[in-house]
Amino acid sequence: MIIIITPHNTTHHTTPPHHNHIIYPISNNHSFNFVQKMSQFLLKALLHLLIFQLVNSRSLKSTIHNTNLDESLTYIWPLPSQFTSGNNTLTVNPNLTLDFTGNAGSGSVVVEEAFERYKKIIFKHGANKLAKAGDYYDVNRVTVIVHSDNDELQLGVDESYSLLVTKNNERSIIGGVSIEANSVYGALRGLETMSQLCIFYYGIKTVQIHKAPWFIQDKPRFAYRGLLLDTSRHYLPIEIIKQIIESMSYAKLNVLHWHIIDEESFPLEVPSYPNLWKGAYTKWERYTVEDAIEIVDFAKMRGINVMAEVDVPGHAESWGAGYPDLWPSPSCKEPLDVSKNYTFDVISGILSDMRKIFPFELFHLGGDELVGQLRHSSSNGNLPLLMFLKFRINVEIALACLSNQKMVQLQDHNMTAKDAYQYFVLRAQEIAISQNWTPVNWEETFNAFPSKLNPRTVVHNWLGGGVCPKAVAQGFRCIYSNQGFWYLDHLDVPWEEVYYVEPLEGIKNISEQKLVLGGEVCMWGETADASDVQQTIWPRAAAAAERLWSDKEATSSTNTTSAALQRLEYFRCLLTRRGVPAAPDSTLRLSVVYSLVLALFTVLLWCFVNVNKRKLDYLCKTSMLKDFGFGNISAQDASGVKSGKESRSLDKTFELNIPISLVT
Amino acid sequence: MMRKLGLGSILFAVVVHILVISAAADIKNLMIWPMPLSVSYGHRFIQLSNEFVLKTESSNYPDASGIIKEGFSRLLDVIKVAHVVDANTSYVGPSPVLKGIQVVVLSPNDELQYGVDESYNLTIPDKGNPAYAYLTAKTVYGALHGLQTFSQACHLNFTTRTIEVHQVPWTIVDRPRFSYRGLLIDTSRHYLPLPVILKVIDSMAYAKLNVLHWHIVDTQSFPLEIPSYPKLWNGAYSSSERYTVADAAEIVRYAERRGINVLAELDVPGHAQSWGNGYPSLWPSKDCQQPLDVSDDFTFKVIDGILSDFSKIFKYRFVHLGGDEVDTSCWTLTPRISKWLKQHRLNGASAYEYFVLRAQKIALSHGYEIINWEETFNNFGNKLSPKTIVHNWLGGGVAQQVTAAGLRCIVSNQDKWYLDHIDTTWQDFYSNEPLTNITNSEQQRLVIGGEVCMWGEHIDGSNIETTIWPRAAAAAERLWSAYDNIAKNPNQITRRLAHFRCLLNQRGVASGPLTGGGRAAPEDPGSCYEQ
Repeated sequence: MIIIITPHNTTHHTTPPHHNHIIYPISNNHSFNFVQKMSQFLLKALLHLLIFQLVNSRSLKSTIHNTNLDESLTYIWPLPSQFTSGNNTLTVNPNLTLDFTGNAGSGSVVVEEAFERYKKIIFKHGANKLAKAGDYYDVNRVTVIVHSDNDELQLGVDESYSLLVTKNNERSIIGGVSIEANSVYGALRGLETMSQLCIFYYGIKTVQIHKAPWFIQDKPRFAYRGLLLDTSRHYLPIEIIKQIIESMSYAKLNVLHWHIIDEESFPLEVPSYPNLWKGAYTKWERYTVEDAIEIVDFAKMRGINVMAEVDVPGHAESWGAGYPDLWPSPSCKEPLDVSKNYTFDVISGILSDMRKIFPFELFHLGGDELVGQLRHSSSNGNLPLLMFLKFRINVEIALACLSNQKMVQLQDHNMTAKDAYQYFVLRAQEIAISQNWTPVNWEETFNAFPSKLNPRTVVHNWLGGGVCPKAVAQGFRCIYSNQGFWYLDHLDVPWEEVYYVEPLEGIKNISEQKLVLGGEVCMWGETADASDVQQTIWPRAAAAAERLWSDKEATSSTNTTSAALQRLEYFRCLLTRRGVPAAPDSTLRLSVVYSLVLALFTVLLWCFVNVNKRKLDYLCKTSMLKDFGFGNISAQDASGVKSGKESRSLDKTFELNIPISLVT
Repeated sequence: MMRKLGLGSILFAVVVHILVISAAADIKNLMIWPMPLSVSYGHRFIQLSNEFVLKTESSNYPDASGIIKEGFSRLLDVIKVAHVVDANTSYVGPSPVLKGIQVVVLSPNDELQYGVDESYNLTIPDKGNPAYAYLTAKTVYGALHGLQTFSQACHLNFTTRTIEVHQVPWTIVDRPRFSYRGLLIDTSRHYLPLPVILKVIDSMAYAKLNVLHWHIVDTQSFPLEIPSYPKLWNGAYSSSERYTVADAAEIVRYAERRGINVLAELDVPGHAQSWGNGYPSLWPSKDCQQPLDVSDDFTFKVIDGILSDFSKIFKYRFVHLGGDEVDTSCWTLTPRISKWLKQHRLNGASAYEYFVLRAQKIALSHGYEIINWEETFNNFGNKLSPKTIVHNWLGGGVAQQVTAAGLRCIVSNQDKWYLDHIDTTWQDFYSNEPLTNITNSEQQRLVIGGEVCMWGEHIDGSNIETTIWPRAAAAAERLWSAYDNIAKNPNQITRRLAHFRCLLNQRGVASGPLTGGGRAAPEDPGSCYEQ
């Protein structure tokens, strides 16, 4: 059943995976209940088993030696919009120099620092081996020409570049690598592409560029290519955020959507309301204003904008830790109290403090899920139906909460709870606009009162497909993040689904297409902390990054799934070589889900049709437990629990907990 | 005179007693990992100067190669990594300021070797004009440990935006309990890129681990360049999943600068199938590729060549020769080898012994002492070179037998210290006592330490850190801290370990939560300090 191929840890395969404390009740009084529990248990055991086998089958696959690359493919990720290549191989001088032409101000610093970063990446194997005088190299310098003097980073900044890689020769003065761009941020994208062309060749221990000469002309398909990070559900240390920003630049993503605050914690310092960060988990899990500025600067040096989010009114319970007046009541803490001007004073204070930190023109005001605690709870199980039900219930609870506590005031204003929601969102929008932000709101605001939203609003889709077509038809701009594909906390979405989803689906009119700014993959933080966030982001975020950067034609017609997979696997190895913990691809995951469903049905049928309860009890108690890898459950565990008290604890003990890294 | 001395010593004893008591009573409030030998501390704080400086004037160690300077600059990096330190003078109150740290190293010798003195004394005053922390150590490597301890006492004050040392005045006397505190990484089952290995080394230094056991080669792949036999790395998974000699030298140099030895392993004869990709004659036959051909002198020539190349890269006194899990059926089933066995009056078992002992002699000829996995001891312990260190892994109780036979031992019993067993909890790691049932002090001394093993079947660059940490840290305290300082019930120190785990996160290390076994994702939203 389980193939043992590993020395040293053979016992690892015979010990039960992860769960040592399965309390296993056998009680005739609760036999129906028991059958239910049993099927739950079987499901979970099967899942363990399947995942275990999956892991093993990977190990087997990996014993194939010297997997050769298909040389006909282009290993640049994301794929450039236009390129030609040749047949030459050029050697690259480890003392590569930069020749920068352009604005001598801060823009040149952006390029110079990037050049040094990429030199470290390109020559990491040759750290000790410097070029000797007299050594000949084909490529000795990188010429970067930037036309614009403006180095402001904003939405829609020109990221196009052209990259030329040719041999030095006497007739040509443009030997080596030359990058031409309108802005320094285009030059950064060109340097990234150049770094992906440079390969350390072990035979002669030199960095080479294959298939030269290269001529690449490249530009992004969408201006907004985002990744959401959530620092409220788990605090992410600054060093981790920087590592993620750095890795975003490798995939040419350009917006870090920082979901700073939510109901669980309020980690950011707000000088105007200094008690707000009392809502942090602990005093160590906080960001000072300087920390936030540091993150914005760090991102800017890599051509990445930071879009801050303050998710009001439904995701803001943590605000009240410092200012309890913001809660409707001590027993009903969310959404923010719509009836007080004080609430809007605080929002205004936060936004004006943030305006000094975040220069990006877009600002995210949330506005989703009046009570949001369950939005992302599906991350482990991914049970959309259950989630939908919970969502409905939540809205009702929220409305009830609001109504009970504040009904009188609302009635004074002739408002229903839904009116109050609209009033809240629109008033927050006004505050943002008055401070020169462009508001971004989650799609519920658009779904609920599209005609009332400020026309500058950018609608951020998440619930499902078909929203951007509606939004752009009404003249709104839209960001695509359909949770069925681009929620990274949905661990069971395989890379192909992330890759092939189309942000412009259902939008034919070209002027409407232009209103789709781009898309964003969302790394919600319920089960992602510093330890697992990066391998949950990568490599699937890269699949979306190519969708957002590369021409649709290039990635759908000439790029078969197997070619895209090979290229993505190559890029994921490139990430790990650069020290980014990018997980192996998840192509096999889908088949696991299917076989799981199939196996579950088989087992249930078998249990109900063929076996009476006594037999089931017996079988499950003995052989099946062992088969599923729970072989060392002690006799006491398997038979001893009788009282109702213990059986109540079942739900908890049966809680499925698969380490993320096993699944990804 | 006698009377005075007596009084003095009584007074001294009382003072020491009070210090010890206060340390013991307050030990729960100390957030240092691993726990130092003895600590006394106060309840004030002192602010780090914006121009916090290193002073080494009275040191006997010239620091020509900059080991201390680099260690100091890493100290500044890690204490500033969690937050931007942006001291605004308008905030600064009357609190005392620590101008710098004075490091005094007694020995001018900076050779890193097994058994190097790693002790240090660290005092941090609560006042003084000017005030300096004072770190003394016999060797530069003890001083590096002192700097690590210092870094853990530093915190950002969110009001003044300065770094403060809490709980001053400090007096710390510290030294390791065991001189071998290892972590195994396996680059054969999965290639680990260079930056990943360097980052693992960084994190080891935070936990005061001091041996990186590099299981370079195994059945699946041969990633290392061997100049004497240049086709060996044809056994790499792919042309890019390889280490040049310069890469290996860089790993060793990088580790040494952090006080960490690199123990190279060449696991012969049972884990060497990948060698034959470059040199097929090392296989018994095409269909039966493992263990290495015992009958061919070429096999031992290759081992000699590899160890000769090793000796230029890996300066640690020991080399690991493996010797585990040898299934000799390929030898007896291959007619050519079977014939050779008969000629030499050998069977599978005695040929295994012959192989291991011959490999040992080659290693000795290159100046190495040998480490072998415990099967070699279990099968022919009395034949092993007396310089052998037996590396336990199969289960408990081996160290007792090994030391009774007069050999040295490293403890890695797989039920507690194999990191790839992801269902083993940190509490299990913490509670594993290397000297279990060894009461004789002579025998105790023969247990040179222990090692946690990060086998690579299910580990690559994406998940290695979260599988190593925080459980390796639990073992690191077991190996570093005095026996009496180790909690009898690991749950008493959960808070302190959680604190260390969050410290690792702040420094960019992907240490997992404490709940669950290894590599577990956090189950719910929550604070790092409570998961």
